[in-house]
Amino acid sequence: MQIISKGLTFTYNRKTDFKKHALNGVDLTINEGEFFGIVGETGSGKSTFIQHLNGLIFVEGGELTVGDVNLAVKDKKEKKALKKRLKELRYKVGMVFQYPEYQLFAETVKEDVAFALKNFHPEISDEEREERVRKAIETVGLDYEQIKNKSPFELSGGQKRRVANAGILVSEPEILVLDEPVAGLDPVGKKRLMALLHTLHDMKIVKTIIIVSHDMDEISENVERVALFSGGKAVMVCTPKELFLSDHPAVKRLGLPVTAFASKKLFEKGIEIDSNFKVNDFIEKVTEKYKNL
Amino acid sequence: MLSDLTFGQYYQAESFIHRLDPRFKILSLIAFVVMVFVANSFYGLLALALFLVVAIIFSKVPILQMLRSLRAVLFIIVFTVILNIFFHTSETETVLFWIITKESLIFSAFMAVRLITLVMASVLLTYTTTPVALTDGLESLMYPLKFIKFPVHEIALVMSIALRFIPILMNEADRIIMAQKARGADFDTGNIFKKAKAMIPVLIPLLISAFRRAEELGDAMDSRCYSSSKKRTKYRKLKFSYRDIIAGVISLLVFGAVVTLRVLGVGV
Repeated sequence: MQIISKGLTFTYNRKTDFKKHALNGVDLTINEGEFFGIVGETGSGKSTFIQHLNGLIFVEGGELTVGDVNLAVKDKKEKKALKKRLKELRYKVGMVFQYPEYQLFAETVKEDVAFALKNFHPEISDEEREERVRKAIETVGLDYEQIKNKSPFELSGGQKRRVANAGILVSEPEILVLDEPVAGLDPVGKKRLMALLHTLHDMKIVKTIIIVSHDMDEISENVERVALFSGGKAVMVCTPKELFLSDHPAVKRLGLPVTAFASKKLFEKGIEIDSNFKVNDFIEKVTEKYKNL
Repeated sequence: MLSDLTFGQYYQAESFIHRLDPRFKILSLIAFVVMVFVANSFYGLLALALFLVVAIIFSKVPILQMLRSLRAVLFIIVFTVILNIFFHTSETETVLFWIITKESLIFSAFMAVRLITLVMASVLLTYTTTPVALTDGLESLMYPLKFIKFPVHEIALVMSIALRFIPILMNEADRIIMAQKARGADFDTGNIFKKAKAMIPVLIPLLISAFRRAEELGDAMDSRCYSSSKKRTKYRKLKFSYRDIIAGVISLLVFGAVVTLRVLGVGV
């Protein structure tokens, strides 16, 4: 499923005096199979943009297609037709919100993870549903038998987060969108979650992964392409390396990953290291340079 | 979305009405409400409506925005008007069908004007007064109740916290609704019972987050040694100014005129 956005605009509180332009014409194409990053300062429109991708927000202006679903509906009839397809779209486009553990509600972990499956496909048999719930919980690295009948509220913060993620993965989405997925996690939790995303992507369990992040190290290390949002537009769409080499003021404010920062400082001292700013590549290039001295 | 709700919001502006003392605004709203029911003639209501319109113009709040806040109570107004048309008893001749008299039509029109002015006047108060000023004003007005051991300060604190958290909780509810929609929750179809049941995945996380916030707020207040028992001083002191005197004189004149009209029995 490819995502194509052309001139997408959106305004909050459009009909009142408190209106706020969140998107001012987003042009962005995300291909099937990409590990994609979205960066930008607070209020740059990233969250508003991703909420369009599964129809949580209806398109106000511009064009947007996700796979074969046209989300930019012109009239009431088209809107009605779209509403019928929303379930299918939301099933295929999984969306993990910021701090997803705050959406847990059910009595047991098992029931909470099964929630999406019950909504999207109520016809699935109990055995099959349980099997898929087990698979999702084990995917996020929890012991199904041990945890299935616990209340989600008695778990630790990190476990809650993993249960919430399992609640999205249970639908086996083709596109997975994560808004600040590692915010508030400890270093081990961060590493584990990013490793999980890479596994899902490499094994093609989830075809496309889109992460929204403020953390430039995370972006540099993980994504293939990145879009920089600023003032409600995707002002740059490029590789992380190109992003960190650009002199766009928003990039300066967001800061650099530690490797790019080190490269810059070394360059000022007359040492040129040409890496793609991933930690392993950077270390390798530095070692090479040092050995050739 | 819930955040589109505009009823009871504060509208930021620099105006004569904004700068009035909140205590004066609260008292004059109460007086206005009483006057709306004292006025039983066309001229009386007209005077009050004009008074309100002038106040709205001076408040710099866009009139369209004021009117939009009526949407929330439109149903009640229509319902009242219809009830009054059919069930207001009077002895004069019927003009339409068998039960509708000229008097009942006039009476229900009065009722509609009364309700609209009531809502608009209270909306004007919240549009032009910050929640903090509003609760400060209420606390100050309720001060005499302290002598009968009424917990004035605590009640004012509860009110200000509640007002302060309404927008935050509405945002939170919006977020949770979106998150559950992304998991396929359906809030729009089915009968009322089905819809109520569909709200459980929203209400439970919302309640939990409200409790969490309450605990955090309590800790934050404790860590700054908050106590309501001692005599507290205020950062912002309420003071009546020349504006309140001007507005007070005008209000007294208008309200006096309304009472006079009633006593003299002019109009209906």
